[in-house]
Amino acid sequence: MDLTNLLIAYPGIYVVQAFLHSTSAAIIAQRAILAWNIRSPVVRQKFYLIAVFAPVVSYPLYQWLNPDRGSVNFRLGALFDSGRWINVELWNVLPVALLFVLVLAAATAVFLFQELIPILRHRSGPTDPASRTEPAARGSPAALAAEGLADPAPDIQIVEDDDPAIHSVIGRSPAIYLTTGLVRSLQPVELRVAIAHEVAHMRRSRRPLLIVAYVVRVLLFFSAGTLVAFRKAAAEEENICDDWAVEATGRPDALAAVLEKLRHSDAYEIEGHEAGEGLSSIEHMSYDLMVRERIRRLADGESTTATTGDWLKFAVTLASIVILNYYIV
Amino acid sequence: MTVRHVTRQALHVLSFVATMAVVVGLLKVLNWAPGTLEPGLMARYTSIDSAVSTLGIRKVYVPAYFPETLSWPPAVVLAQSKPYQAVVMEFTRARDGQTVLVISQAASTLFEPDAAIRCRTISEKVPLDLRGRKATLEAGVREDRSACSRVEWDEGEIRIVLTMKAPPVQLIRIAESMLH
Repeated sequence: MDLTNLLIAYPGIYVVQAFLHSTSAAIIAQRAILAWNIRSPVVRQKFYLIAVFAPVVSYPLYQWLNPDRGSVNFRLGALFDSGRWINVELWNVLPVALLFVLVLAAATAVFLFQELIPILRHRSGPTDPASRTEPAARGSPAALAAEGLADPAPDIQIVEDDDPAIHSVIGRSPAIYLTTGLVRSLQPVELRVAIAHEVAHMRRSRRPLLIVAYVVRVLLFFSAGTLVAFRKAAAEEENICDDWAVEATGRPDALAAVLEKLRHSDAYEIEGHEAGEGLSSIEHMSYDLMVRERIRRLADGESTTATTGDWLKFAVTLASIVILNYYIV
Repeated sequence: MTVRHVTRQALHVLSFVATMAVVVGLLKVLNWAPGTLEPGLMARYTSIDSAVSTLGIRKVYVPAYFPETLSWPPAVVLAQSKPYQAVVMEFTRARDGQTVLVISQAASTLFEPDAAIRCRTISEKVPLDLRGRKATLEAGVREDRSACSRVEWDEGEIRIVLTMKAPPVQLIRIAESMLH
């Protein structure tokens, strides 16, 4: 069976349509956020999650609704028929099907090396055997800063390291890891708001929607549209946690100061992203842009509450994506 | 609700509509482009002759027997030469213009022919000797409980499929007349 035949058999069609549907949904979601001027990170995240969730079920659902969707007549009337491109050979030597498979392979590699492996490492906690880790002592600055942020109080672990860094791990033993360097470099209020941000991550990590989103992301590991949309949704997650931290502490300026300090530190490690080594300069730049955007948002005190109108706009966008993707075969 | 607020909301709606229009336009362009890069992809033709001469298709299987109730020529002719040859013909009933017979021939078993006629349930599926060819005959009913039948067989590399809104007797006669 050659590549073209592979792509027009059922599993191949599923992959092609999931790829196309996620790409179109990601583009529409991104543009719709701008068009509707959506400010709430909760709503923005839902927009991006359309592009994560919809493509998993879209092809079987559409086929169930209309078994003739794959027929010649339907394809001729469709907005976009992937079969037309898959059969094309550019300059009579380069099959588009091969290019498509290369794009799938690249998206899979990004998923493996930038998401799955780092997250598995991140979940298991600090891996540097040279770093001594111990629970924050009662009455210590970190323990005092965390008081009242969550019930029960979060497990705070102090890592012996001069570089300022903070991150949380979830799973069976959820905990917040702070370096001694961070504790030394932050004011008490800054330490409190930084811990509050991590507490927000730990609380939200138990939300079924986000858990399912990650499972779906894993299922569609080959899809570039899902990759982009999931990352955008993850960026909004940072904004949501920032908002929670600000609400809990009332100090957006302190959180902005923490982000600034971490940006200018040598290690620049936040939320499991390591800028120092292993990351390309492009990825570092895009991560830095995201942090700067968070600082700007905190400085501007942007409104974060979702309105009824926002959900109406979300429904219109979702319906538009569902209808449009029906005609992408 | 102020005038300014309403104006702003209207602008948002317009902006979203414009976004969707751009996406639809872009998709249409992307769908049109392969036809210019690779002539011979599936398209509608005005007649069988036009499809044959444009695509260089060697042989189109057409029935010699044709019930009087059907209109000739086919109301719809769809054909392609790439990635493999395929021709679909839809025939309508003279009385009401309804599609009652679809004949497709394709050099691939993965080709999904036109779905103008679809049997909802198949009550019988039997092997059939069609002038020495091993064919498969299916009989069943459509959504409106009317009879439908389907026969398919291979002529070398070409898979031929006939679907008709009628019991199998007439369909078999039409199919046999294609092998003259």
